[in-house]
Amino acid sequence: MVDQVHKEFRKRDLLYSVALWLLSLIIPDPQLHYRREYRFRKRDLFYLLSILLIPLVWSDLHFHHLMVLAGIHGILALGLTLFMGYAGQISLGHAAFFGIGAYTTAILTTRYGVPSFLAFWTSALTASFFAFLIGRPILKLKGYFLALATLGFGEIFLVLVRESSGLTGGVIGIFNIPFFSIAGFMFDTYLKQYYLIWGVLIGLVFFLKNLVRSKMGRAFLAVASSEDGASSVGIDVARIKLGAFVIGAAFAGLAGSLFASVMSTANPEIFSLNLSVLIVMMVILGGMGNLYGPIAAAIFLTFMIDGLSRYQEYSLPVYGVILILLLIFFPDGIGTRLRVRLIYLISYWGRKRRREKVEF
Amino acid sequence: MFLLLEEIVKNYDGLRALNRVSLQVRKGTVKGLMGPNGAGKTTLFHLISGMERPDSGRIQFKGKEITGLRTHEIARIGVGRTFQTIQIFGNMTVVENVLTGMHLRIKGGLLSSGFYPPWIKRGEEEAMKEAKEILELFGLFGRWKWFASQLSYGEQKRLEMARALSARPELLLLDEPAAGLTYPEAKQVAETLSRLKETGLTLFLIEHHMGMVMEIADEVAVLNNGQLIAEGPPDVVKRDPRVIEAYLLKK
Repeated sequence: MVDQVHKEFRKRDLLYSVALWLLSLIIPDPQLHYRREYRFRKRDLFYLLSILLIPLVWSDLHFHHLMVLAGIHGILALGLTLFMGYAGQISLGHAAFFGIGAYTTAILTTRYGVPSFLAFWTSALTASFFAFLIGRPILKLKGYFLALATLGFGEIFLVLVRESSGLTGGVIGIFNIPFFSIAGFMFDTYLKQYYLIWGVLIGLVFFLKNLVRSKMGRAFLAVASSEDGASSVGIDVARIKLGAFVIGAAFAGLAGSLFASVMSTANPEIFSLNLSVLIVMMVILGGMGNLYGPIAAAIFLTFMIDGLSRYQEYSLPVYGVILILLLIFFPDGIGTRLRVRLIYLISYWGRKRRREKVEF
Repeated sequence: MFLLLEEIVKNYDGLRALNRVSLQVRKGTVKGLMGPNGAGKTTLFHLISGMERPDSGRIQFKGKEITGLRTHEIARIGVGRTFQTIQIFGNMTVVENVLTGMHLRIKGGLLSSGFYPPWIKRGEEEAMKEAKEILELFGLFGRWKWFASQLSYGEQKRLEMARALSARPELLLLDEPAAGLTYPEAKQVAETLSRLKETGLTLFLIEHHMGMVMEIADEVAVLNNGQLIAEGPPDVVKRDPRVIEAYLLKK
């Protein structure tokens, strides 16, 4: 009976395989990060082209604005995925580094007239410097304790920024931050900003892809998997964790700097606990140990929050229900699970019809 | 003296796990460590590899004091180890596990790896070639693209040994390399060990397989209740009445 089912070939199967092939061009390969090869695939070209063309095709200002935000969230998620998805640690205070980056740029450009390009790199350095100072003591903690310590750090930083109004402008924040500009070219429209931010994001993806396939990437994964095993081959576990933390913070600093010079404002509300949790959500939804997933999750969540903001009073419960559903159906994250699910669904439809035909 | 332990004491909340144990391992020899369950064998290995610290006593390796050093520092000096409960990296492929073992010998820092200049690329390629050779030696070459977590128990044990060796240690601590293996697998491990012995590597192994220890060990030490009760060539130790008593619990 079973043999009969498999021997049978119909035109529909051809359709299924064509559909699968098309999907494989677009949807991230769930095995991609396991092989960690560095090949420019067809789907990479697809992603690049769609990033390049989407704002031109869909020239809606609101859409551009959302994509700018999504790009900033994507950079944040990329930084955290190194620390969470690869090195296997948890941080609930990542938004603090975003805030440090935003305020560094804001203060440097408005008070001291530093060019925004210089302020951009200084923000990353400042954020990673703070991460280095904080990471040294708290990265000895594990699991929930580390989560709580980073949470506490985020809250302390928020209070500090609110109270020291001489430097940071207190609750009101800093306004009129000049737009990002390189050599006189000002990024003053959403479209220009879109290309700026997604350009930075693509550069950072290349950096991370290199890092992940090198000895450092293996050390991150080793620490996540077995600290005893890692240290027995000479990997300094504490230093590797600190390295992942500092690089994640540098990415957040870059994102914060871009945010400040794109929105031309920096205030304490932008880096509250909500943002920290949102970034963690992006990494979890995007899939652990995956680079494209968090970016996809960043786009998805940014649009979802925007869509829900119209129903202000219901937004939190709806948000919660959607997240629960996502975590039920995509427990390994969208990036790692989507393709597997689709393949399963397609083959399931095929099998179901055939089973009915044979049995009845 | 290659590895020297002097008067090692280790307590766990009032339980004396090791009581004034003094041991020596000479360069290029194979030493077996035996004893009933709970005798303190694994604790001793943890102390040598720096995962725990002794309450008193000294550990010297190649004439240098390593008592207070941390695990990765001791690994850098040339002490490799495997674990009783397998500690391979299940989230990586088999070949990446071996490459991780070569961590210290591959160049690259956090920033330079991210930009991936030619010298890092060259280093990675050479390391990959060497890793595949090591896998061939351990009969795992056919599985190099597999996930380490997909391997069978015996293969995982071999992979762990391959990873420890790829760091090129001078002293290799093996915590029950044949435990839980089928007879042919255990035999294979014994063959691998005797091959390693021929290359001049110093081995220090915990093992319950009497036959295996008798075959490859030059010297055997026996622990019981945290105390060293016998030390010497395998044939002599085997007939020691105290050893027989410890193993058979004769009153």
